[in-house]
Amino acid sequence: MTAEALDPLIHAPARLRIMATLAALPEGVALSFTRLQDMLELTPGNLITHLRKLEDAGYLTSKKTGNGTASHTSIGLTVRGRAALDTYKAAVRGLLGGL
Amino acid sequence: MNDTRDPEAAATDDGGALDPREAARLLEQTSREARRQFSLTPPLVTAVMGLVILAAYVALWLSVLGQHPYSGPNLGVIALVYVTVAVGSAVGVKVYQRARAGVSGPLVALGAAEGIALLVSIGGSPVIQGALHYYGAGNAIVYGVIPAAGPLIVVGTTLAGMAASKADWLQFGAALAVVTGGGVALFVGPINAWLVAGIAVFAGVVGYAAATAWQRRAAVRL
Repeated sequence: MTAEALDPLIHAPARLRIMATLAALPEGVALSFTRLQDMLELTPGNLITHLRKLEDAGYLTSKKTGNGTASHTSIGLTVRGRAALDTYKAAVRGLLGGL
Repeated sequence: MNDTRDPEAAATDDGGALDPREAARLLEQTSREARRQFSLTPPLVTAVMGLVILAAYVALWLSVLGQHPYSGPNLGVIALVYVTVAVGSAVGVKVYQRARAGVSGPLVALGAAEGIALLVSIGGSPVIQGALHYYGAGNAIVYGVIPAAGPLIVVGTTLAGMAASKADWLQFGAALAVVTGGGVALFVGPINAWLVAGIAVFAGVVGYAAATAWQRRAAVRL
């Protein structure tokens, strides 16, 4: 197995950290954009870009409530996203076993 | 999603050069940190709480040691215990607020309901104590075995039920240990009930903290 076997959508430092952080919450639980940003210490623009890629792949969902300054965005891992992360972990384990 | 863009967005990494070892390290480190931040029972805080509870029960035991006839703990020690409970509750609320900031979903509502159930159960033992006093039970019962062992049995059973509903077997085991300790404390007399109860809570809480720390370490390992 080579590093190419790793899901390129997850195999990027920022996205890997996003996925690992959201996976630490139980299924069906979401995290606010602000808290996620604080935890990962990413700029809003950087975080949005990565979240879009993961959301487009169906790995996470985002839900916006409220309008204007009172708006609030929650992000949660989907079942597909959790499964993709498990597959990624298994692939990393496989690669490390072969090293 | 917030639609603000900044110049750094264009510079986001795609991690093509991320080494598998580095990926594993990043994954473990991030998972560990996230679990620590989301935890409602941080092992260190939980262990310190266990020690504080043990100290409070030992203080109560020392205050009744050698009493013949038994009259109950002195008011100074009881006041100290109430202060300890208040400080412990404040720490618990702070930990809860920190862990749950920005977290939403059905499990969060369930957590609030659990908190209410726990508060009600904490009030259960003093109510029984009051009823026993009302019906003329002696000091050994009203100010001895019931206040020492009652909270362990009532709160421990509530925690065991909550743990079972979530299949949290670590919490379930710890809660059962506390309930068992409370059951034993009921039969060792009003003086030693305080010591047995203190040891039971300490063992349950610190054992839970140690097991949680070990479980978390194992969970983030690839």
